[in-house]
Amino acid sequence: MKTLVVAERKGSELRRVTLELAAKARELGDTALVEIAGERYSPLPFVSALAKKVESEKPDLVLLGATLNGRDLGARLAARLGRAYAADVTGLRVAGNALELDKPMYAGKVRAKVRLDLPAVVSVRPGAIPLKGAAEAPQVEKIEADGSAEKLTFVKLAATATGTKRVSLSEARVVVSGGRGLKGPENWHLVEELADALGGAVGASRAVTDAGWRPNEEQVGQTGKTVTPDLYVALGISGAIQHLAGMTSSKVIVAVNKDPDADIFKIADYGIVADVFEFVPAFTEAVKKARA
Amino acid sequence: MKILIPLKQVPDSTVRVKVAPDGTSIVTEGISWSISPYDEYAIEMALERKDADPTTVVAVVTVGAARSRDALRQALAMGCDEASLITADTAAPLAVARALAKVVDETKPDLVLCGKQASDDDQGFVGPALAELLGWAHVATITKVVPVEGGVELWREVEGGHEVWKAPLPALATVHKSEKEPRYPSLPGIMKAKKKEIPEKALSALGIDASGPTWTILSMEPPPVRGGGKILKDGDAKQIAEQLATALRDEAKVL
Ligand SMILES: Cc1cc2nc3c(=O)[nH]c(=O)nc-3n(C[C@H](O)[C@H](O)[C@H](O)COP(=O)(O)OP(=O)(O)OC[C@H]3O[C@@H](n4cnc5c(N)ncnc54)[C@H](O)[C@@H]3O)c2cc1C
Ligand SMILES: Nc1ncnc2c1ncn2[C@@H]1O[C@H](COP(=O)(O)O)[C@@H](O)[C@H]1O
Repeated sequence: MKTLVVAERKGSELRRVTLELAAKARELGDTALVEIAGERYSPLPFVSALAKKVESEKPDLVLLGATLNGRDLGARLAARLGRAYAADVTGLRVAGNALELDKPMYAGKVRAKVRLDLPAVVSVRPGAIPLKGAAEAPQVEKIEADGSAEKLTFVKLAATATGTKRVSLSEARVVVSGGRGLKGPENWHLVEELADALGGAVGASRAVTDAGWRPNEEQVGQTGKTVTPDLYVALGISGAIQHLAGMTSSKVIVAVNKDPDADIFKIADYGIVADVFEFVPAFTEAVKKARA
Repeated sequence: MKILIPLKQVPDSTVRVKVAPDGTSIVTEGISWSISPYDEYAIEMALERKDADPTTVVAVVTVGAARSRDALRQALAMGCDEASLITADTAAPLAVARALAKVVDETKPDLVLCGKQASDDDQGFVGPALAELLGWAHVATITKVVPVEGGVELWREVEGGHEVWKAPLPALATVHKSEKEPRYPSLPGIMKAKKKEIPEKALSALGIDASGPTWTILSMEPPPVRGGGKILKDGDAKQIAEQLATALRDEAKVL
């Protein structure tokens, strides 16, 4: 079994998901890592360079992280090569001449096991493969993106005001999300201070992103991000089925809501019936103490 | 400008999806179906273009079972101009993309907007695959399209902001969200939609083989049920906060 892992970097560091994929690939057999070097991701230059690599090395399996870019690149690569494709899987095993995959479907409402014939392209959800101990830094070969394939022109990057200093939501081990119960964007410092105390990322319900209180990229749920952190804290979120779809696989769920009948309590490991404005500052202090 | 939206009919987002007794499919009896949420955003995005420039023509197409006609009807009621149905009970994802490529060749849209992923298989394959078959560039997960001299600007949501890409026409993008919430069908819209013809063709009649690389579903199960856990309620906010922090550190071991 020969696997080619497509490496991704955030800043100068390999993304955690790349280390996860490398560990999985080593378990499956022969492993090589390739990173596509280009100023920024764009499908045609990246897929052209990667397809050439795949055609020359003929790996049985191409693994990518199910990140924003990894999912896009994987889909187009599979189409170009006519290979079988599965996106955002949470587990994989070899079964004879094929792969057996754990594939969440229906926005996480169903867990399927599927068989995918090799050769294949698969993207794997960040955090799905446990990393045991400190992962060794893998060898990564760099290939150049094929700029001659580009048909698009990059115009600009329009940054959102909130910036990017925190860990990315889909890879975070702790996520603190705020809902409409926070009443307005001016109160988000409560969510952020708790997230900082926990070393986590900030998320939101769709009610919040729709209202423009927070950017879309922070939305958790069926039409937002799916997160599987060790700890998910829902503040002032009612627990609509579409929100749950994005976070019920979290290891531990904490919910704070002033309505004792809120649906979120049905899935929370720890529920606190309280006013977020009173409870959250106290909790942030308690977390700082407990971690000190 | 002519905009084509390939859409997929999926179980409505409020449906509590249940695994069927065969263990490899879901119960479809009696459930309600809708346009996949991201496709709905794509429709809204296209209709916002049409609001700004009434010469815009918005067409929708789907490859699916006969019931998919309802999803097309809903799109017409929202304000789309044309709809067509390609019937196929099952088709491999690449076969769907081939059928859509044929529709694009025949109808020559300037812009194709797909959903970023369909909320049944959650794959996000058909959009990029369609662009690949057409030999077009594509931009994934956009939230805005702006017509400019010589093409369109496509705003792609990334960590920390938006990348703005300019694409020559024809172009394809997959949609993450529209600026406004998808509109509800208006009453006159519903009346008009009822009268519109939805031409139908079988996939095989297009000369397309429904096979292609795909997976076999071995089993399906619901995610493990999470029971409600503890409600912490003894004491004031400060005391409960301390109990919670201690429990997270010592019991759940996540701090
Ligand atoms: C197709 C589709 C896709 C969707 N996708 C998503 C998605 O991806 N993500 C998502 O989140 N939603 C999604 N939704 C929307 C979803 O149905 C809900 O409308 C949304 O999740 C509600 O957000 P909320 O919990 O913040 O707001 P609300 O439902 O209004 O809940 C606010 C909660 O805050 C509590 N509260 C109020 N004040 C306080 C206080 N002072 N202290 C403590 N608690 C307080 C209230 O008791 C209430 O439970 C989708 C809907 C559809 C139709
Ligand atoms: N059967 C289909 N008919 C028309 N469009 C489809 C179909 N399947 C997928 N699409 C389009 O491709 C997008 C991604 O779908 P998927 O690859 O199934 O996740 C959808 O949001 C639709 O825009």
